[in-house]
Amino acid sequence: MRTPRSGSAGVDVDLTRLIRALGAVRADGHAIAGWSVYVAETRRASVGTKDRQTGDAHAPLTLAESLTARYKLIWDDGRVSRGAMERRAIERTPEPLLTASRAASFPDPDAVDVLGPAAFPEVATHGPAAAAVAAGGIEAFAPRLAAIRERVARHGIRTWSGSMHAAEGTSRVVTSSGLDIGGRGTSTGWSATFDGELGAGHTARDVAPLVDLAGRLDHLVRFVLALRHSAASPREGLLPVILHPDVVEDYVLGVLLHNLDGAQVAHGTGAFRREQFGAAVPVLREDITLRTDPLVPMAAGAYRFSQEGVPGSPCTYVDGGRLNTPILELKYARRLGLPPTAFPAAMDTLFLEGPASVSYDDAIAATAGGALVLSVLGVHTQDFTSGDFSLSAPQSLAIGPQGLNGRLRATISGNVFALLRAKDLTLVRFPGEHTPGLLTRCRLDAA
Amino acid sequence: MPPHTSSVIAELDSLTELSQEMTRRAQGRGAFLVWRAQARRIASVLVKSGRVEEVATSSGSGHGVHAMTGDGRTALGSRDEFLAEPALALLDRTIDAASAAASLGVDARSMASLEPVVARAVPPGVDAFDRIDLDAAADRLGELQRELSGRVPGVNLSLSYQADLDAWRIVRSDGTDVLFAMPRCVLRIAASSSGDARHTVGASVSGPHPALFDDPSTIATLLARAESAARLACLLPDAPSHPAGSFPLVIDYALAKGLAHEAFGHASEADGFRSSILAKDGRFRAGEHVGAPHVSIVDEPKADDHAWQPYSASGGKRLRATIVEHGRLADALTDPWSQGGSGCRLTNADRAESFRSAPLPRMTNIRIEVDDPLPAPGRFEDYGPEEVRDLLAGAGVLTRHPRVVFLSGYSGGQVNPATGDFVFNCKAIYALTPSGVTLHKPAIFSGSMFGALGAIREGFGPLLLDAIGTCGKWGQSVPSSGGSHYFLALDADPSVRLGGR
Repeated sequence: MRTPRSGSAGVDVDLTRLIRALGAVRADGHAIAGWSVYVAETRRASVGTKDRQTGDAHAPLTLAESLTARYKLIWDDGRVSRGAMERRAIERTPEPLLTASRAASFPDPDAVDVLGPAAFPEVATHGPAAAAVAAGGIEAFAPRLAAIRERVARHGIRTWSGSMHAAEGTSRVVTSSGLDIGGRGTSTGWSATFDGELGAGHTARDVAPLVDLAGRLDHLVRFVLALRHSAASPREGLLPVILHPDVVEDYVLGVLLHNLDGAQVAHGTGAFRREQFGAAVPVLREDITLRTDPLVPMAAGAYRFSQEGVPGSPCTYVDGGRLNTPILELKYARRLGLPPTAFPAAMDTLFLEGPASVSYDDAIAATAGGALVLSVLGVHTQDFTSGDFSLSAPQSLAIGPQGLNGRLRATISGNVFALLRAKDLTLVRFPGEHTPGLLTRCRLDAA
Repeated sequence: MPPHTSSVIAELDSLTELSQEMTRRAQGRGAFLVWRAQARRIASVLVKSGRVEEVATSSGSGHGVHAMTGDGRTALGSRDEFLAEPALALLDRTIDAASAAASLGVDARSMASLEPVVARAVPPGVDAFDRIDLDAAADRLGELQRELSGRVPGVNLSLSYQADLDAWRIVRSDGTDVLFAMPRCVLRIAASSSGDARHTVGASVSGPHPALFDDPSTIATLLARAESAARLACLLPDAPSHPAGSFPLVIDYALAKGLAHEAFGHASEADGFRSSILAKDGRFRAGEHVGAPHVSIVDEPKADDHAWQPYSASGGKRLRATIVEHGRLADALTDPWSQGGSGCRLTNADRAESFRSAPLPRMTNIRIEVDDPLPAPGRFEDYGPEEVRDLLAGAGVLTRHPRVVFLSGYSGGQVNPATGDFVFNCKAIYALTPSGVTLHKPAIFSGSMFGALGAIREGFGPLLLDAIGTCGKWGQSVPSSGGSHYFLALDADPSVRLGGR
């Protein structure tokens, strides 16, 4: 028998005992008739900064090792058990947990699918530089921290907080139907918030060139400095508003993905009904497309297979404003009678497209009298089902004839579905951002 | 017959030898060690639209090595098991990393002087977490679903049950050895209207015992709250938005918890004092006037509460913190690493989501107290908007303000401690006037913490502290809770606004 290589970053997770136990365990007189196991082993290095102090006790240099598994068991009487197990059970003593899981089984006829072998796409997800940092090469953080500190000093930024990380891991899906697929990946990222006001960050598969970080920091600095001056006499009412890509990701795309979730559709608890998928009637503007592509090389959201063993492949959720498919795992795919789909694992593999797009500068020029909303507070307090929103936007900038015109503490309100149906919706290309901003009209009130 | 022992507690009890070995190794390398072992078991059931959709169990255990070198630099290592050899190797790597941290510009820091603590806080009955009957839980959720569907037809219902036993053993190289277990069980219901414009409204109850779904009092409370939520979900699609602006307000105890948590609690956490609006030059502005003199804000662990934590993640006994005492700042939420510079006493407020996380000062159960509250007889659940209006009218509030905006139900909040900007959202807005009650859609409530606290005039009813939530500070989710009197009345303040249409 092989020795488990714990700490190997998952290069060789040993599942021998677990797989043997899955075939041998009996509980209450029942055997496991089918199973699917997803295993992930990761090692990670990170460091935080709180109010200019890097690596203090509240944001320390951190080294983490983990090995976890998610399992689905189909017992011989059709009942299903799901759960998670830890390193000890995976590597040494799986039997007690598997036996105990019988007590948590339940009839779930839509969850009995276990995938077999398939053709899996190739997509690059591993970066050697990120792997080196994850293995302990933390000195790679130093020039990036220096770049942030230099801008803090140069621009009189009062304080900053943030974090940097790198991780390397291996994942593997094994099923009773003969599927055994594995892969290796890395991730790395950073974030920084200046003056406790506004932040930026980036996540990728490998360490990005320093110039990429510098460019993002310079965009952040420009907005932070602009927030230091108050707008003279802000307007209120139904106004043209540019939503920054961060707001689009946090709120607009968050609402769409929530309501596209297969469980929401199947249970009738989301905004979209089952019969609307595949129907001719658009629910959004007829030029809006929302799609994912997990096969973008080295994208943070790139993957070859899902935790259930579904091969990664491009998928269009909204096509020409019409609902094409919900986001479906195996269970809700079966219940809704549709094939399982890819899911957006990160924002850089999710694409909002269609309406006319303009450059950031052109959008600012077209929005005189309105505002640029850089971030919002309270996204998680909103009712994602209705799409109604009422959000605090204390980091907004008034836009005058000459461009950005001082800080505006505002609230914005409206309905996100109405925004995405509006004729005057325009996509805005922000430098360095994958997700577009949105130029739209919504209610804006001074706070 | 010996008492039953929870498997989770037994696992932590078995770690004495390893903890001693870790301590010896750290001392041998000249490092101060806080070693955190955690064992956690979670079981959950989800019923949607009358059918069981999910029954799941998970277990997790592991340890975090928080090492401080002799020159005052820290690092945190973690691993998800308790084998001695990899644990000691992790400790060595963690100390090495802390020693090398100077290359990243990590400053040396000191921590508060600590007295060793040896203690144990394991509530009775936690062994019941080893014997949870999830079939019975699923059946009970199904019964509740049918009961609610009968009371409020036409809504989609989602019901969930979760039992979570979260146990920790904290060992320090100064001889501290503390073991505590936090049992948390929750029943939740989400009701969604089924028309074209759908709204979702939730309700919940919590308790420390896994069999709370069989407790008649708990279920009666849940059903009362869930019925209100379901009726509200049906009414909201046709409700108008409320205009934006500053208004005389009434908020319920759950929203008051949100106000205390978001507006004052986070800003009083000492790890943020280099930027918090409640601190100056890194020190808490203790003694300064920040609110009305009849108003206090208190944070402390409450027995049987969802967010109860008797000891800190560093092994210190958690103390009651009176953050605002009769309108003036008093205690901060401090931990051994932040207390020294804060100018405040050590309250041992550090908590962590898991053994992988660096502990941070944060709240447990936080409340707003008002001196001499006015009576509000009966249960909180007896008060619909009409009853609240009658309560205000009887106290003369509607004479002072002919139109009062009642914010009902808490659906989460957020704060920027550096600026004092806070937001939270409600489940519904009711305009209360002597002649009637009008429902409006929920809207964001935002503004200045000082304006909000200064605007509180009256409290109605006894303290009710069971508003639960999850706090997500710095990416770590830990349970939170709190409350206030049934209702608080606030005068209009220009710095506190309701969002709008």
